Amino acid sequence: MPERVVITGYGAVSPLGLNLEDTWQKLIMGNSAIDYITGFEADNFNVRIAAEVKDFDPNAFMEPRTARYTDRFAQFAIAASKQAIEHSKITIDDENRYETGIIIGSGVGGIGSMEHQVGVLNERGPSRVSPFIVPMMICDNASGRVSIETGIRGVNLSLVSACSTGTDSIGIAYKMIKHGELKAALAGGTDASVTPIGVAGFAKAGALTRNNDPTSASRPFDANRDGFVIGEGAAVVVLETLTSALHRGATILAEIVGYGATSDAFHITQPLASGESAVRAIELALNGMSTEEIGYINAHGTSTPLNDASETRAIKKSIGSRAYSIPVSSIKSMLGHMLGAAGALEAIVCCKVIQEGLIPPTINLNSPDPECDLDYVPNVCRKAKVDACLTNSFGFGGHNSVLAIKRYS
Amino acid sequence: MDVQEEIKKAIIKVHPGVDESKITPEASFTGDLEMDSLSMVELSLAMEDSFGVTLPDEELADLKTVGEAAELIKTKMEK
Repeated sequence: MPERVVITGYGAVSPLGLNLEDTWQKLIMGNSAIDYITGFEADNFNVRIAAEVKDFDPNAFMEPRTARYTDRFAQFAIAASKQAIEHSKITIDDENRYETGIIIGSGVGGIGSMEHQVGVLNERGPSRVSPFIVPMMICDNASGRVSIETGIRGVNLSLVSACSTGTDSIGIAYKMIKHGELKAALAGGTDASVTPIGVAGFAKAGALTRNNDPTSASRPFDANRDGFVIGEGAAVVVLETLTSALHRGATILAEIVGYGATSDAFHITQPLASGESAVRAIELALNGMSTEEIGYINAHGTSTPLNDASETRAIKKSIGSRAYSIPVSSIKSMLGHMLGAAGALEAIVCCKVIQEGLIPPTINLNSPDPECDLDYVPNVCRKAKVDACLTNSFGFGGHNSVLAIKRYS
Repeated sequence: MDVQEEIKKAIIKVHPGVDESKITPEASFTGDLEMDSLSMVELSLAMEDSFGVTLPDEELADLKTVGEAAELIKTKMEK
């Protein structure tokens, strides 16, 4: 008998706040976190804006010694994980530490540390390279550090699927718990790629907007969109079996009822225009659930010309005519694209939509695009009773990943 | 230059949170100061910067105490 899998806690570090609640409040107010880059001197960059996490003090979440030798992306993961554990009130002890896992991925890993140490290598030679560079840059340092910080000793994985990472990490943890491999897991994603090489690289790939006006640059589904705004942060959930949650009297925030993942087999950066593989991922995530039940779709909605059109096509193909009556919104309009963290934060937002009865808007949506003709909750949040959500994530490499999240009953 | 004092500063820099009162000439890096092989390499990089000397990894492996490190640095600085 498969187990039912529920969400009992979450934590986040985002450009809109250093915890989930602050982030949520800003999202429903339609506030944007996008601003001029402060983390490095970007004057000679074509792209000079980003959604940066502001005022993050790693020493508030870990020992200074740990903080010193942990890249920002893994520091974010530690902070979000500790918040999630506190929120769920789960205790990690000898009874459950091997039955609890960690699946926290990153799209890019410790790129800031890598960049810094390549500078040291080039300027001062190989003998001057930090012995910590390998652990600081490898993607699994996030889940590894979280294991050390929490005492969790079950499966410890860092899953990498570009901008689908957060969604896939939760999806795979959901599958492992559902099939009895784990009783509980911390799952999510993290990234800190607002660095010179990160911004220059995404910009040269044509993924980033060339609009340097922070207030209007991220405009998912708008006719004038021309690329995403890079963001950063982490989001982590506590997943566990329904049995475990009920046994310890946990507050159940929502239930994960489906996960679908497919690949485009098409191009290293572009999505398949027909959205065919994304359609399949949505169908897999529905897992038998009627489309009539869906009250909200959290879109990947990056604000790139290709993504928003192909995602719209995929939603319509998989849901049919009812797609027109489902609110679909993109919080990337406010948070930028948190890369590996995006899908995890968006799954948490689905929980909040179910709990709070409020749908965060897609801001900067002023000029309709004929190819994007769904209800994107433009510019202001909306009250709605929602019992089931889908959340989509797509990533470089052709990843299509979708979670179905329902009110627990 | 007070070599011992400079080494102490380097240890505090690369190994934050260390009990500073334990940084004596007799203190062992791995035992008393709880440093691991990675933080020892970080320390050698910091000492290279502080003293303008070169500390190959193989020489580092022989250092057990803060006092031994000070002696090695002094010898190198005299050359």
